[in-house]
Amino acid sequence: MGFLAPWFLAGMAAVGLPIYLHLLRRHATTPRPFSSLLFFERRQQSSIRHRRLRYLLLLSLRLALLVLLVLAFANPFVNRTAASVAADKLTLVVVDDSVSMRAGSRLADAKRQAASLLSAHGPAERIQIATLGAELHLLTQPSDDDTTRRAAIASIEPGDSRGSFGELGRAVRLMADGLGTPVELHLFSDLQRSKMPPSFTDMVFPANVTLVLHPVVDGARAPNWAVESVTAPGQVWGTPQPGKAVGIQAVIAGYSTPEATRTATLAINGKTIATRMVQVPAGGRVTVPFPSLDVPYGFSRCEVKIDSADALAADDVYRFAVERSDPPKALFVHAAIDSRSPLYVGNAMAAAAQSAFVLQPVTTEQAANLRFSDYAFVILSNVASLPAEVESDLVKYVRGGGNVLVAMGTAAVKRARIPVFGDAVQEARNYGSDLSNGQERFLSIGEIDRSHPSVDKTGNWSDVRFYFAVRVGATDARVVARLTDQTPLLLDKKIGEGHVLLFTSGFDNLTNDLPLHPTFVPFIEESAQYLAGVARTGGARVVDSFVELRGQIDPRETLVGVEIIDPNGRRPLSLTEAATAQSFRLTQAGFYQVRMSNGRRDLIGVNPDRRASNLEVLPTEVQALWRGERSASSPVPPVAPVAVAAAGQAAEPVKKPFSLWWYAMLLVLAAALLESWLASRYLSVQAEES
Amino acid sequence: MSQRFLNPEVLAGMSGLDLIAKTVVDGFVAGLHRSPDFGFSQEFAEYRAYSPGDDLRHVDWNVFARTERAYLKRYRGETNSQLTVLLDASNSMQFTSHGVSKMDYARYIAASLFYLAIHSQRDAAGLVVFDDEVRNYIRPSTRQGQLARLLGGLELAEPRARTNFAKPIDHLREFLRRRGVVLMISDFFGDPPQIVRTIEPLRFHGNEVVLFHVLDPQEVRPTFREPTVLVDMETSEEMEVTPDYAEREYRGKIDAHLADLRTRTRGAGMDYFLLQTDRPLDAMLREYLTIRQGRN
Repeated sequence: MGFLAPWFLAGMAAVGLPIYLHLLRRHATTPRPFSSLLFFERRQQSSIRHRRLRYLLLLSLRLALLVLLVLAFANPFVNRTAASVAADKLTLVVVDDSVSMRAGSRLADAKRQAASLLSAHGPAERIQIATLGAELHLLTQPSDDDTTRRAAIASIEPGDSRGSFGELGRAVRLMADGLGTPVELHLFSDLQRSKMPPSFTDMVFPANVTLVLHPVVDGARAPNWAVESVTAPGQVWGTPQPGKAVGIQAVIAGYSTPEATRTATLAINGKTIATRMVQVPAGGRVTVPFPSLDVPYGFSRCEVKIDSADALAADDVYRFAVERSDPPKALFVHAAIDSRSPLYVGNAMAAAAQSAFVLQPVTTEQAANLRFSDYAFVILSNVASLPAEVESDLVKYVRGGGNVLVAMGTAAVKRARIPVFGDAVQEARNYGSDLSNGQERFLSIGEIDRSHPSVDKTGNWSDVRFYFAVRVGATDARVVARLTDQTPLLLDKKIGEGHVLLFTSGFDNLTNDLPLHPTFVPFIEESAQYLAGVARTGGARVVDSFVELRGQIDPRETLVGVEIIDPNGRRPLSLTEAATAQSFRLTQAGFYQVRMSNGRRDLIGVNPDRRASNLEVLPTEVQALWRGERSASSPVPPVAPVAVAAAGQAAEPVKKPFSLWWYAMLLVLAAALLESWLASRYLSVQAEES
Repeated sequence: MSQRFLNPEVLAGMSGLDLIAKTVVDGFVAGLHRSPDFGFSQEFAEYRAYSPGDDLRHVDWNVFARTERAYLKRYRGETNSQLTVLLDASNSMQFTSHGVSKMDYARYIAASLFYLAIHSQRDAAGLVVFDDEVRNYIRPSTRQGQLARLLGGLELAEPRARTNFAKPIDHLREFLRRRGVVLMISDFFGDPPQIVRTIEPLRFHGNEVVLFHVLDPQEVRPTFREPTVLVDMETSEEMEVTPDYAEREYRGKIDAHLADLRTRTRGAGMDYFLLQTDRPLDAMLREYLTIRQGRN
């Protein structure tokens, strides 16, 4: 017995208050004058004694209330042996069903060992079954029903997620906090090293959790070859042209493997297109080029396979999807007097390697007769005036999923507001004239956000000279690039389902010399691909990644349903989810067919995370540390389930503090209720008298 | 039609007993049916032969039935009477539980009766203020300014000392030789046989004696929230009493005391009237005069 916060016992002095109120204050009665005491008699003996008894009961209740309250805050505890709380113990059986457990018979071994553990434990014990992938999934409630538990273990199927011990630690910490009772955690896993979180503390359990590891592999390293990655375009356009053949590159990696020759195969829609023999160095990786990706029109399901003949077959294939379509049209709207911008942008698009957009230059007057939805994206360049109906159509086009690139120029300065983008023109900066008295007559790029798809592969911008830029007002757009004076150069704003890219300088080689630099072509190409929506989806994703289905839901607009068909041909979204879900988690390996809210269809190849391909096991020292053992010097042998149960019974009873706070608070509540009742009874007697 | 009465606490807010008396008397007289029989001079005096124009209501029809002659009853009031108020000004009369002390209430009663006697009846009125001896005596008179003198005497009557009926009444018997109405206003805390025995001699000269017993509601039905120490206002004796006792035994005792006093007073040929200070003054006066009228 002890107190966790003994300083609170000083509050016991508060018991003096009711004593003062009851005993001391009661005698300070002021005599009342009365006309005559002729008819009164001294009768204090019987009546006052009775009243005192009642007061003493009330006094003792009030004292008890204060004492219990002080005790509750002092947080008393008793040391209880583990045996005494064993009845409340929860046994949590966690079977690892991540993708690495597909190797050999790991999952089957884990399930068999878990079933043996259930046999070793009595049917009366509370046991909960869970699986561990990217998250901890509880399959049952804490139950003493042996049939339910065994059925749950039998139902465990191998998954495609990468396991995470960090996620296990987080989930068990939450459970243990909520339960407050001892938890015995049995983990049946291959204890893959790559499942460790970056910080070891993320996988540490609280004090009331006892971890028992059940490794399903021995300490030997398992060799494994995998197709680590494939670099391939998500979309190709038109018919293949000589000199512009689209190729792909696959990376074959070996983990704990000897040097070996592997056969890599490219298959499109189930048909083998090309085969390559490659020499994979020991524990290394090699790049395999496939020079021609000749896919038919529409979506194609492409796979790069290797004949690894290792235990883990899930990573021997890499899925990706490629769409071939006619070259999309892009609309270039410019002022009638500006003939330089379409020239530079058109040439840059024609020079691009993997884009085949057909650029259609029109003047602002001609744009009024066009339907923007026919174009993959629209470029507004140096537009001085734009008819209101054209801008209105463009805004609708963007809200419906279209994308627009707005390039400012000297003519566009005449406008107070940037068309479609919406923000006000704050200031036009002409550096050639502003800085004429200084040494610089131009500005350079100050910073650039390479994570944005429009600039990620654009190379060096440092030599580009900017003579003119427009500063826009406060905006909620993402700034992709800034000049050295912090003027935003490239901004990306999401409006409805679409995006608007704003280039605050021009493409006419007057406001800057960007069109003359080599980085102009990849910038235009990347921007065109981003605006056309190609770069957004890509062709391959990793299991447990998310695909964005729609932008922000506008309650004023009618909800358009999305559609997803998983690799098994099922629709995982309900009708409600299809109408409201903004993103979807890709949980299985295979090809997903997606129709987004803007009507665009996509095919996505989903592959297991290749970090799971390294089947290296946690070092025994780390395992010992995880189990909470102090000395990690001696090797820790795997503990058999039956042995664990026996050891649990024969072990020294461990004393743990058991807090009595809750019971003290219950007594406080009871005393408070009793005191209220008694006091109200007393008051009611007074009321009757009055 | 319901009669609206004057709350004693409202009267306490008025300045000047003359105004209070006028308000009370005018108020309740105005509320009465027209009747010639209200007043203090209600004793039969003689018969007078009827002459045309006399009020037929005064014809004694019994005599007419026997003699077939019409005679009118004449009352002594028409020949003037005398009202003497004996006001107890002992300390116990200071007691109050609701803003109007028994002394104030007694003053209002006395002032109202003086006003009624002098203004309405043209009777002589006098005042005796006493505690354990006579402290003030204003001889009954109908002289000019008598009402003002009486009201001034009432104003000066401040409670003090203890009550002792014997000594002042011995003195008073010397003064009260002319027949009249003697009103004694007191809280009568004492032994009822002794009180009656002491007061009874006032009747011997043919006086009509009326006891106005003034009590505070707390004296009749005391309530205490907790055991309380009480101090006797006359003897300064202290006593701790309990709510239970006040609730049960005290009430029995005070009820018995009131009943005994009432019985003995009436048995001795005197009138007894209980006044509680929380009751409207004009209502009490009206009730008293109504009863008195019925008796005559």
